[in-house]
Amino acid sequence: MIRFDGVDVTFGEHRAVRGLDLEIREGEFFTLLGPSGCGKTTALRSLAGFIQPTAGRIFIGDRDVTNVASEKRGVGMVFQNYALFPSMNVRENIAFGLAVRKAPKAEQRRLVDEIADRTGLASAQLDKNVAELSGGQQQRVAIARALVLTPKILLLDEPLSNLDAKLRVQLREQLKQLQNEVGVTTVYVTHDQEEALTLSDRIAVLDAGQLQQVGTPEEIYDRSATSFVCRFIGESNRLTPAVLRRLRESAAASDAASDLPLLDENAESYVRPEKVAVTVGAPASGAAEGVLSVTGTVEGRTYHGSHSVYTVMVDDAALRVSVPGSAAAKRWEPGTQVTLGIDPHWVLQYPGS
Amino acid sequence: MALTSPPPPEADELPAAAAPVPDAGTRRSRRRGRGTGQARAMVRSPLVWVTGVAVLWFAAAFLVLPNLSLLGTTFFPDGQFSVRAVEKLLGSERAMRTLGNSFLLAITLSITVNIVGVFIVLVTQYFRVRGSRLLWLGYATTLIYGGIVLAAGYNFIYGRFGFVTNLALNIWPDLDRDWFSGYFAVVFVMTFATTTNHMLFLSSSLAKIDFASIEAAKLMGASTWTILRRIVLPVMRPMLFAVTVLTFLIGLGALTAPLVLGGPDFQTVAPLIVDLSRSPVTRDIAALLAIVLGLATIVLLAIMNRAEKSGVYFSVAKVATPIQKQPIPNPVANAVVHVLAYLVWLIYLVPVVLIVLFSFVDARSILAGSITLDSFTLQNYITVFTTPGAIRPFIVSVVYSALAAVVVVVGLLFVARVLQRYRNPVTSLIEYVLHIPWILPTVLIALGLVMTFDRPNGWVGGAVLTGTPVLLLVAYIVIKIPFTLRLLKAAFASVPDSLEDASRILGAKSLTAFRRVIIPLVLPTAAAITALNFNSLLDDYDAAIFLYHPLYKPLGVAIQESTRGENNLDAMPITFVYTVLLMIIMGLVMYFVYGRGASAGTPRRPGRAARRRAASSAAAGASVAPVDGATATGATEGHDQTPRRGGRA
Repeated sequence: MIRFDGVDVTFGEHRAVRGLDLEIREGEFFTLLGPSGCGKTTALRSLAGFIQPTAGRIFIGDRDVTNVASEKRGVGMVFQNYALFPSMNVRENIAFGLAVRKAPKAEQRRLVDEIADRTGLASAQLDKNVAELSGGQQQRVAIARALVLTPKILLLDEPLSNLDAKLRVQLREQLKQLQNEVGVTTVYVTHDQEEALTLSDRIAVLDAGQLQQVGTPEEIYDRSATSFVCRFIGESNRLTPAVLRRLRESAAASDAASDLPLLDENAESYVRPEKVAVTVGAPASGAAEGVLSVTGTVEGRTYHGSHSVYTVMVDDAALRVSVPGSAAAKRWEPGTQVTLGIDPHWVLQYPGS
Repeated sequence: MALTSPPPPEADELPAAAAPVPDAGTRRSRRRGRGTGQARAMVRSPLVWVTGVAVLWFAAAFLVLPNLSLLGTTFFPDGQFSVRAVEKLLGSERAMRTLGNSFLLAITLSITVNIVGVFIVLVTQYFRVRGSRLLWLGYATTLIYGGIVLAAGYNFIYGRFGFVTNLALNIWPDLDRDWFSGYFAVVFVMTFATTTNHMLFLSSSLAKIDFASIEAAKLMGASTWTILRRIVLPVMRPMLFAVTVLTFLIGLGALTAPLVLGGPDFQTVAPLIVDLSRSPVTRDIAALLAIVLGLATIVLLAIMNRAEKSGVYFSVAKVATPIQKQPIPNPVANAVVHVLAYLVWLIYLVPVVLIVLFSFVDARSILAGSITLDSFTLQNYITVFTTPGAIRPFIVSVVYSALAAVVVVVGLLFVARVLQRYRNPVTSLIEYVLHIPWILPTVLIALGLVMTFDRPNGWVGGAVLTGTPVLLLVAYIVIKIPFTLRLLKAAFASVPDSLEDASRILGAKSLTAFRRVIIPLVLPTAAAITALNFNSLLDDYDAAIFLYHPLYKPLGVAIQESTRGENNLDAMPITFVYTVLLMIIMGLVMYFVYGRGASAGTPRRPGRAARRRAASSAAAGASVAPVDGATATGATEGHDQTPRRGGRA
């Protein structure tokens, strides 16, 4: 549906996007994710036609749109700050594109009412000034204004970033639902990894203009392709060579050692906090069911309601371990000796990075 | 700067601009919560008492009394109500004709200035036009060159004995020497001289348009013209309305341009008031005319206020994307716009360039039109700086302006603080009174002062002030009060309450907190306001003509005298030197106030950034009134939402 083919965008000295190759499928909710300055917005704006790539081509369907004007690409866009026209009321804002196309007045009315209904705007709000609406409602107007032209592709540039946390979560769900209903191919830009994981069919992670990984949310989280992706998405513990050595010793002592993946002591290695199991006391003999174990000392605990995070010192490394629930039985004071169980399958290793 | 004297609105307070301050509500409610405690604190503070007594005395003596006595002289000449002045006015054909002319001028300018003003804003800020920075510099010359100086400059170049007139006579011997005179000349000069408001305020409202909304419109297929018509202009409409009203007022009260260029056929009200005020017999008509002018001003400002309240577009975007210049796709339209832009640019630039050049040439060569390379000498400058009589007006004006600028800022520093901190009916009333000079034309203020203090007056210890050098200083201070007050209040409002709270909890007394914590934060703003006040008073003519002491003749008056008749032609090069010096001083002030902050962009060290922010908030207010006038500040103050006029035109 959408294809970036070796797209490069350079601003003066700065290469904002470097050789981006990307394919986005029809009807997909696709997210460009990365820290600020990673080139995600630049990539999106290239797709919208606001930025001319320095090199490479962009295709929509089979059509090369690299040099096609924005308005002829059949894309709709919701801007980070919504870009509503302050001098028009809500209805006029939504109808603007239809008016430009010189759609008959009655038709405009019908389409606006229809899309307003769909995006959850009450008809009483249509005659209001945009400044009178709350942030969430303004965002609905921006979405309605883009969708009323029935674009083949909907571009969303951090549309939730201006809202407060609670509303953000609520609108996120509604946005996903709306996209499911309308079925429009959606390209979404965000720096919020949680947003990306919950919304997307697939995610592309970018860093410093470079594509790091494309995959489903599960792939991105569980099988991060690069150490950047691993560190950027979710939380992770860096495993020092000393800890890796202890894990290897544990593996050697295990009966099932031959079935376990061999950990590379010299590779940059990570394990996510919730993938580590904690038990009190010394390890049971050997590794049970493919889990390697190391001992450590509890340093501290932070309480998060649904779970607690313990900091456990293992040799020179402080590992953060997430433990679900808050049962008193699971409350370990600092100084408690514990055993950490780690399935080597969950250890992410990046040799030579 | 009588002529341009753009009674300016202020950038921040302005229509599209005025984004709601997110925490204004909470801040205000917190203040209200502290209400009773505040009232007690207010009564107990010695600072409040001293400031209060001083401001009440000044306001009563110089803001309220003169206007009352003006009304008294007009309608109660012998202690009895009388409409004789009205009858005299209605019976005077000359007075009625000038009134008509003033309204004609105001209406004409509302159209012409808008056309030129919108055009120059669009070609410098909105459309991609080659050399737009160069164009901007040319159009911006009115920032450092206006009022009597500008009128004199045009007169010396296009007037009866002007350089261009002389040149033209060589080609067309039949040309009327007075070709550049009357309605046409006044409209022409004022059209190009009063686009300053557009440059400042329309530009700022254009700059605040969220560029993403233009991109959004483009994405939906809107053409350049559609976007301009449906997105850009509607957002600027409230501001356009405001500057139109201001332009109308400038036309109505125009003094220097009609005086110098109007000729016998096109006399307007303000010069007539000056004329009539000289004789005790006609003084009541002068006062009545000034009152008419004042009333018209008040009515128009009220209309503007109302219209603005109903038509302000708050930008919805929390963070607006900066605007990017738009290409003109049609090549023919593009070419036409370029040609027009540079033609207008030439009109702005020619007088300035000629004045600078002629400041190095002696009068005879200019008049004869026989200028060679040898004609260029520094003689005029040497004359100005070595002849006591020539440098004197300059020094007089510098001293007056500096004194007034400093006095008004220092005095209002305390007043503004008290007004901003304690909100109650008393402080509100004081604030309204202090805004009187903002709704009245300078001519009326000056006339009121003359007529009030021409006899012993108890408010000033029984002294007679008319005819002393003091009264002009008082007038300058009065004129500058509204502008200064609004900006200082804004500066104080932008200092978070928590800073003072913090210094109090660390043990500082109220006055110490004020002196050590608050004052340093508003100091950059105060300095900027002082500089702008100084600038706008330097070439004042409107107040000076009523109030100057013959031994201390200010620059504006000296320049105006040099334009009168052929006998004064020797004074012409001196006036050119004055003009160049004024342009340099004003240019420097503008640069220090706006220039440095404007070229931001690169991140700086935090300390400096903070200082710069403070300075630019001053400057924002300042975008205000580089030239003159009073102003309001941001949306923090409910009733402050209007563009302001300074009242000199």
